[in-house]
Amino acid sequence: MNAITAPRITLEGINRGLPGFARFCTYIGAIIGIASYAKFGPDGYGDDGLLFFLTASSFSWIGIGALAGLASGSVTAMLKPSVTEWVFSRNVISWLDGALLMILLATVEAFFEPGQSLINYNDQSNLLSGSIIMTMNITFLASALLYITYLFAPASIVGKLATASAWVGVYSGGSALLLRWYESYMLDTDIGHAPVSNLYEVFILMFCVTTVIYLSLERRYQARAMGAFVLPLVSAGVFFGIWLSSHGHADIKPLVPALQSYWMKIHVPMNFVGYGSFAVACGAGMAYLTREWLELRGASSKLLAVFPSLEQLDQLAYKAVAIGFPAFTLATILGAAWASEAWGGYWSWDPKETWALIVWLTYGAYLHVRVSHGWQGRPLAWWTVAGFLVTVFCFIGVNMYLSGLHSYGRL
Amino acid sequence: MKTTPWYKPYFDRLSSMSLAIALLVVLGLASTIGTVLLQNQEQADYLIKFGPLWYSVFISLGLFDMYHTPWFIGLLVFLMISLSVCLWRNVPRMLKEMRSRKLVITDKALKRFHHLHHWQLKHANVESSEKLILGTLNDWEIKRGEDNGRTYIRGDKGRFNKVGYILVHSAILVVLIGGWIGAQYGFRGTMSVVENGTDNTIGFLKGTKTEHLKMPFEIRCDDFFIDFYPTGMPKEFRSTLSIIDNGKVVIDHKDIIVNEPLYYKGVRIYQASFGDGGSSIKLKLYDLTTGKIRTVDTEVYQTWRDPKSGISLEITNFRPYNIENMANPGEPKDFKDLGPAIEYVVRGPNIKSVKVKSFMKPFEMNGQNRGHLIMVSMSGEDRDYQPFALGLDFTQPNDWKLYRSFIKALGKQKGARDQKANFAAFSQAMKSVFGDKRPDDFQEMGMRVIQGMNNLSALPWPFIPILDSFDQKYYTGLELAQDPGMNIVWIGSAMLVIGLCFMFYVPHRKLWVVLSPVGKGVEVTLGAMSNRNKLGFELEFNQLLTKLDEALQPENNSGSAS
Ligand code: HEM
Repeated sequence: MNAITAPRITLEGINRGLPGFARFCTYIGAIIGIASYAKFGPDGYGDDGLLFFLTASSFSWIGIGALAGLASGSVTAMLKPSVTEWVFSRNVISWLDGALLMILLATVEAFFEPGQSLINYNDQSNLLSGSIIMTMNITFLASALLYITYLFAPASIVGKLATASAWVGVYSGGSALLLRWYESYMLDTDIGHAPVSNLYEVFILMFCVTTVIYLSLERRYQARAMGAFVLPLVSAGVFFGIWLSSHGHADIKPLVPALQSYWMKIHVPMNFVGYGSFAVACGAGMAYLTREWLELRGASSKLLAVFPSLEQLDQLAYKAVAIGFPAFTLATILGAAWASEAWGGYWSWDPKETWALIVWLTYGAYLHVRVSHGWQGRPLAWWTVAGFLVTVFCFIGVNMYLSGLHSYGRL
Repeated sequence: MKTTPWYKPYFDRLSSMSLAIALLVVLGLASTIGTVLLQNQEQADYLIKFGPLWYSVFISLGLFDMYHTPWFIGLLVFLMISLSVCLWRNVPRMLKEMRSRKLVITDKALKRFHHLHHWQLKHANVESSEKLILGTLNDWEIKRGEDNGRTYIRGDKGRFNKVGYILVHSAILVVLIGGWIGAQYGFRGTMSVVENGTDNTIGFLKGTKTEHLKMPFEIRCDDFFIDFYPTGMPKEFRSTLSIIDNGKVVIDHKDIIVNEPLYYKGVRIYQASFGDGGSSIKLKLYDLTTGKIRTVDTEVYQTWRDPKSGISLEITNFRPYNIENMANPGEPKDFKDLGPAIEYVVRGPNIKSVKVKSFMKPFEMNGQNRGHLIMVSMSGEDRDYQPFALGLDFTQPNDWKLYRSFIKALGKQKGARDQKANFAAFSQAMKSVFGDKRPDDFQEMGMRVIQGMNNLSALPWPFIPILDSFDQKYYTGLELAQDPGMNIVWIGSAMLVIGLCFMFYVPHRKLWVVLSPVGKGVEVTLGAMSNRNKLGFELEFNQLLTKLDEALQPENNSGSAS
């Protein structure tokens, strides 16, 4: 073992073996606790605001779930030590840790919220989440600049700063969304709803998901140069988000009846796992094309050395699609399930649905081209870029240019 | 020699990946057309939009109802055939590959592996080395054996990766079959049931025509309730329904809301929309020439015609709440309920027909009563509504009286139209209505009457209709659907997702370890590969190498060499 890998080992240490597995089971228990509270709790699903105000009953459901998870996890691990090496638990645990950190952060932020009397629906400008989203905007923009600088100064601290600011952006964006969830209940328990109901909110979700998927690839495969392509994409979105908020699209608005469903909380975020991965794939594709172009132009080897190899970039793009495709498939199916409950049919050839199908077919074709024709490299890199354009149209274009049943997020 | 059957080339073509890719792309492009060209609109609108030439081209291609055209369905059928052939050809091979795990591997094949490593163990024997290696490979599925003096170990992980392929591709077939069954044997349509009314027929679009279908039961709407947010957005609409089958009430007073449908006899009943079910409306008509007041009883969706002037009022809608943001742009929002309102279209000889929205309550601003307000849309579109102040508050009979006396008094001021004359006329009118006892709000009233004086004469109609009272009745818009293929679609969907997880997250990784005795030592060769997730496997392989290095250390202190 050398010095570079040493800290990773200790970090791995708490993520595997008994500590990792028991923690994993605790989280799962807590999640089951929340889900059963929502389903069977005293007020039922109707009022998930109760989760925010941490009533004694909601707290005890979560707590009991967590304890039961911890206990059963520990016992299982004693009886059969090999379960503690379960790959799934090892892969998922750091995500769950991150989610917990996000919730804690949002809780701390909630203490700085102006008092109830200062909050009203008609003027939402003094809600704290607005400032935190501004912080997110700034850190993402800074991160994009730092990542680009990193390409030219790989040895300096810039790269680390870029990664750090991307993380700050993710945590501010994510916690701001959670805070917005809470704020929506502060405005009025009738208005309260998950922050995935309009274009502005899902944009923030998109930034965070894209960045976090990228960061996990960066950490695993040391592919920091890719950040110089992914974060600018996110930044472009940030500008659009600022435009949206300056046009009054940033306000928390009550939900129309069609959106009042637990499906919204599942379907929408899942969709953004798909979109986010496709954005990362596009970033990898652009990095590929840039590296290739630099090679052709005979750029300095110092600059080239910053980039992962062409083959690695190609694989990274594929990897991102391999995350996004199943997630997007699942999201579309969940959407169909919701439609069958709200509109009376699982598929209506509504423009949004149809564009989801087009996106899906685009990436399906990508996967086939890759397997069959041994296509690799440049054409596929272009494919990921084009595929992302199709995705962006599905995501925003449909709302702007086409009307249909999905017109909740209309511009 | 085996003769190849005649269909073989076609078979190959059908199951080729190029065809699959072409199909996916063509389906994608076709779907794009379907979203850009709005589907199932009025034919006349299309004709205006595209002109006769393109209209006839588009209609012959069926582009206005594209997803039901033979060629689009043909594409889907073609996809199904291609998938079936593809499965037919690949599945047996894949199953065989899954089961048979070839142990002995040639040196040549081994050399081609991307991941390859050698150890020369100088002082070791095959058995103990094998044991050490097997100890390291405990999370691999192991098969071992000897051949020709060499020991072979084969390890597998994710051996059932190809199950993913089978699941995904058959899932598409299953989903398409489910969809086809639904389209063939299911239905989906809408039904509007007025409060306290019953209905049993749904209407739906077939191509461009509306068709009707009778349900095997009747639905009665016992009650309809709608709740609004303070911003005027609907918060919840709820219908209380009863279902009557063969004269018997089988479901009694059951509530449904959006997202929570009712289920009866395989038919799902959804809350979809709502609207006015023909509320009774009482209007007061204030005649501008005679000053007389008439009452008219009518209903929403009815047209009332004035026999005298030939002017008709078509009542198009009634709404009990009209919540509007009264703030100026840029200011914090300020939502106010303007109260009940009706909408009607005024038509008549020599007047332009316009759409009007008329409120029942007078308009109040900054605590002042500004009288009644109507909104007029010259184009008939909602977005073109312009407010028009009538000035008078018609709920106070004195406003109208004062207004009429004022007109009369002005008439007596022969010709003179200056400030003074007006003022004199106004005091005269005040006196004739109130005598010496002026009401407390006479100033506000005076302002209203003066505004009425300025504005009312601008109206082209001989009378002003004002909503006096109403008896509201909603209809509930229901959607009824039956889809016998739906569960098949869900099964297919589950297969699809599970299959994709297999395909992408459980790559098939294989490794071979070949141990051959060389002199007093052993030569160990490790070759490994993965069919997916090459990057991840690179990390995994390196970890495996470190583990093996450590395990083989005691066997050979001279370390490893590649
Ligand atoms: C909507 C239709 C289809 C979908 C969603 C679909 C999906 C997929 C996916 C996700 C993969 C995996 C690619 C990868 O691992 O990177 C794949 C592979 C494959 N598909 Fe399809 N496919 C479809 C239609 C077809 C058709 C029509 C054919 C045959 C004509 C076909 C033949 C294949 C083959 C041969 C493979 C490679 C399997 C392997 O060796 O692992 N697919 N498909």
